[in-house]
Amino acid sequence: MTADQDPGDLLRELAPQVLEALLRRFGHFDLCEDATQEALLAAALQWPRDGTPDNPRGWLITVAARRLMDAARSEQSRRRREDQVAVATPQSELLSPPADADPGQDRDDSLALLFGCCHPALSAPSQIALTLRAVGGLTTAQIAAAFLVPEATMAQRISRAKQAIKASGVPLAVPAGETERGDRLRAVLHVLYLIFNEGYTATHSDQLTRPDLSAEAIRLARWLHRLLPGDGEVAGLLALMLLTEARRPARTTPDGELVPLAEQQRSRWDRALIAEGVALITAALASSGQSSSGQSSSGQSAAGEAAWGHAVGPYQLQAAIAAVHDEAQDVDATDWPQILALYDLLDRVAPNPLSSLSRVVAVARVHGPAAGLDALGALESDRRMAGYHRLLATRAHLLGLAGQHGPAALAYREAARRATSRPERRYLSRMAAAQQAQQAG
Amino acid sequence: MKYLMLIYGNQEKWNAIPAEEWPAAIAKQEAFNRKYQQTGELIGAYGLADQVNARLVRRQDGAPAVTDGPYLETKEYIASFYLLDCENAERAEQIAADMPWADQDPVEVWPVLHESPTNP
Repeated sequence: MTADQDPGDLLRELAPQVLEALLRRFGHFDLCEDATQEALLAAALQWPRDGTPDNPRGWLITVAARRLMDAARSEQSRRRREDQVAVATPQSELLSPPADADPGQDRDDSLALLFGCCHPALSAPSQIALTLRAVGGLTTAQIAAAFLVPEATMAQRISRAKQAIKASGVPLAVPAGETERGDRLRAVLHVLYLIFNEGYTATHSDQLTRPDLSAEAIRLARWLHRLLPGDGEVAGLLALMLLTEARRPARTTPDGELVPLAEQQRSRWDRALIAEGVALITAALASSGQSSSGQSSSGQSAAGEAAWGHAVGPYQLQAAIAAVHDEAQDVDATDWPQILALYDLLDRVAPNPLSSLSRVVAVARVHGPAAGLDALGALESDRRMAGYHRLLATRAHLLGLAGQHGPAALAYREAARRATSRPERRYLSRMAAAQQAQQAG
Repeated sequence: MKYLMLIYGNQEKWNAIPAEEWPAAIAKQEAFNRKYQQTGELIGAYGLADQVNARLVRRQDGAPAVTDGPYLETKEYIASFYLLDCENAERAEQIAADMPWADQDPVEVWPVLHESPTNP
């Protein structure tokens, strides 16, 4: 452990390891999770004062185990049996996995923990809160600040989530069946994706009080990618996050106004993140191609769907789309036919109204605004999309491209009324005014 | 996503409820509040005073100038408000429909568009 590492970073990196060590010995996710948090808090207070111990992980596990035993003792009448097990366990056994543990055990413990936090019995907000606390090592106060809710509300949410896991009787383990394992992993990826989006769309970056959720999501996705380096969707999600995060410096003005992709100053995009994201998604797509067709797809364009169309999941496709955008010099130099082909694939692999809407924009770029409006017409019959502000904004955009500035202004105004975030509403109102000015001029 | 739920009413309507029914009515409402505080979805529940106690305040020459309110003359006015933080609009509607008197009077649900990052 290096001396110059931020103690907060170190603690959060160790958090899931400590919790896993406790869970291995004692089970009882709710109690182990509380004890781990207490140990982290104790370290946050003591290490800056007394110095970081030589074995920080061992220190945390010892303290957490002590807290767990204290908690077990205080509930003695209800938990006599667990108490005896806890007290009888030698400290040395806690500090290292049992000698007979197989090498994949640590990885499975980490996955089991993550799967547990994204338990199907929990609502998405509860999965997010629990993942940030148990795996991310954030305190309840930090999570509450990130979501702008009182700490007491977040504490209730976390404690209810732990109760629900306990009540479900589903053990904290990696399911043996491949289908169930795939389902649970998808839930995990969705939670990480939601955490990333929460951070990416947050308009206030008051770093002092609100943790950066995008950075946290990327950190967790990196960790998951290290656990499952061969999983294409995990790599795809990490790549998607990096390729999206790369645009952050250009996506808002200093006043917090949204800047659409087409108008962003691309020189402000983070080239290092783009390079990393492109390398990740390229490797993931190449190995998906090999696994589905048995032939190398290197050198093929990302839209060479014949090679890997069936093995590639939605995060890889979205990352591939983001990569095509990020590698273009400007909006007109963008390879729109390639983007359209990728959206066609995405529509087939994982149909979802939001990506269908993005596909419409690509249709308009490739085949003209009239074709885009036709494609949009098909989407408007989807009940989930009725009155959705992004659908109206897309219609407005296409009408503007088609030179129908009056109807475009009306559609932008209606979209602005229906927007559910202030930056979006302001952007759409600005666009309405611009279309109106074009019509008048 | 945060949502504001509003309950409307007026004194005439509340006067029509017999006094002996109030404790049970309040208990029902408190049970609702407790239920959603415990799920971590209800941030707060607040009941307002009668509209005769509402004031309109303007600033004139740097000093408050106070007149009787409320701002809008309506037959019914806001009786109480609830701040939720829940997964999506469908969940907010589910919670609103679980309000003790939602079978008699509608609950108004508004998405919260923006909030100050300085909120506690």
